Amino acid sequence: MLLSKQNLMPLLNSLASDVDVFVPTTIDGVKKFARLADGVEPDFDMINTTMPPKDLLFPQTQKMYHFDVDKNGSYHIHEYDESREQIVFGIRPCDMRSIVCLDEVFLTKGFVDEFYANAREKLLTVSIGCTQAAETCFCTSMGVDPIYAPNADVMLQDTGDAYKVTAQTPKGEAAVSAWSEFLSDGDAEPVNCDVTLKVSMEGVVDKLEGMYDSPIWENLSIKCLNCGTCTYVCPTCHCFDISQENRKKDGVRFRCWDSCMFSEYTAMAGGHNPRPEKLERERNRFMHKLNFFERRYGMSLCVGCGRCVEKCPVALDITRLIDDIGSYEVAPASAE
Amino acid sequence: MSAQEIIRARAKELLESGEIATFIGWEAGRFTNQTTPLVITDAADAGKLVFNEYCANTLAKYVTDVLARGKVGLVVRGCDSRAIVRLINDKVIKREDVYLVGVGCPGMKDRKTDEPLKKCTECRHNNPLVFDEMAGENAEKAVPEDRFAEVKEVEAMTAAERTRYFESIYAKCIRCYACRDVCPCCTCRECFVDQRRENWVGKQNNVAENRFYGLTRVMHIGDRCIECGECERVCPMDLPLMKLNRKVIQDMNDLFGEFESGLVISAEPSVLTTYELTDREEFM
Repeated sequence: MLLSKQNLMPLLNSLASDVDVFVPTTIDGVKKFARLADGVEPDFDMINTTMPPKDLLFPQTQKMYHFDVDKNGSYHIHEYDESREQIVFGIRPCDMRSIVCLDEVFLTKGFVDEFYANAREKLLTVSIGCTQAAETCFCTSMGVDPIYAPNADVMLQDTGDAYKVTAQTPKGEAAVSAWSEFLSDGDAEPVNCDVTLKVSMEGVVDKLEGMYDSPIWENLSIKCLNCGTCTYVCPTCHCFDISQENRKKDGVRFRCWDSCMFSEYTAMAGGHNPRPEKLERERNRFMHKLNFFERRYGMSLCVGCGRCVEKCPVALDITRLIDDIGSYEVAPASAE
Repeated sequence: MSAQEIIRARAKELLESGEIATFIGWEAGRFTNQTTPLVITDAADAGKLVFNEYCANTLAKYVTDVLARGKVGLVVRGCDSRAIVRLINDKVIKREDVYLVGVGCPGMKDRKTDEPLKKCTECRHNNPLVFDEMAGENAEKAVPEDRFAEVKEVEAMTAAERTRYFESIYAKCIRCYACRDVCPCCTCRECFVDQRRENWVGKQNNVAENRFYGLTRVMHIGDRCIECGECERVCPMDLPLMKLNRKVIQDMNDLFGEFESGLVISAEPSVLTTYELTDREEFM
């Protein structure tokens, strides 16, 4: 099936009359996914958004429940479920891979996060393959195909004047059959996307096992400012903190994004901090991306979107770290 | 010899002689015209140091991280030297803790657009104000005519417009705290936003909390801001933070006389940490 580019906006407007459709756009100078509405111009030529689409499933601040005490002194708890039918239209294959990672965290191993599960169930993912890569894109090195996202409900691939449309899940098939008036029969070859930045992940996961005390972390972390930019622009970073705010007999419990770069992240009630300096925090972040997650879920927690490379205030570059790990000689284990 | 060659040679000599334990400069990054801060302790690494028109980062804040190892050498332009003066005046470091290799700064460029960085077009002191030696000559750079041009844009707004303007800024803030972490004036041992027991700032990301963080930081920096513009450069959401800082500076100028922070090493208290009986008090 093909969707001609002329039919793209009519399709989006038709979809947006029923559900919230999120598209890549620029709002007040910030590139992000925003709800299609009057004055919101979708930009499907944008290579990638500055803010990742993870907040559609995992908002930066999410109310969990509200509680109050009535006149009789009885407690009441009111749960929040703000999930609703949503379509994310134009999500890139790297960001689709990040949703695979988030699904693992929030839905598997016996722990199901209700808030995430509700939002995920109601999200239709329509991915558009890339036709051009930024200099910071390195998705192919992380096992992502820039023109194909296997887990998207619907995959759109640019063929020039039209997108080749492939429904890949039952949800996607139902969607595409409802779009029939905008689609036409046919097939065309997708345009390729050349990703020039390449790193080798060969041996990196295993090598990191023996590198906990390597001087590489000191050299890397010394220039880190310990701000949270990399973690907040990262599509896979998913740490959160649960907190509450009370006013008289009312209160709300919420969770919000947290960052392992902050000293407060691991600070304990008694004052001890197991990751007191930026060396320990940096090591944890990159170990989590490149080793811990791989060990637990069998995949990398870095999808090669390049956002942290682009936005780090001090140009601390994960691709250079991967190169450095690759060329690092792990000392043989001592005979003790 | 170029400034870069002098910097490399002097870093090597200073480390070899044991006069300093650490040297801070820049090295080339992976991408065209990209640089990144470099902290070295081994004289053999001095050859990695670069100095060119794309050295965007200021370096002074790293001094406190490596001071425990001994005296720190670093390259200073106008902004870096003012940051060092700030750290000394705020009693974070001592003058003898640092060895300053000054370098004339022509203003830095954005590596992607090749246009001058905004912070550099606004800079009024491009050459080092404090140094132990100079790597080459001072550089020429145009000084902006109006230091407060941006502030006037905000002042021209009506109160309602201004409220909307601030809301639009702080609706974008993601509270990564990069502005704080890069700032040479932000040297509190514990930042008020990290004081969770007191909970000055709630953890929810919304306009009210974000604005409270941002405006409190502006007031707290107050008379110490050296106008290096790093907060604005590093902000991933491109918030116009220098507009806010300069508004406070303009008000101080108006109330207490023309003032610029970090120009001279001095034990005198700064404008907002002292008072005189003749100070204006229109609001009382």
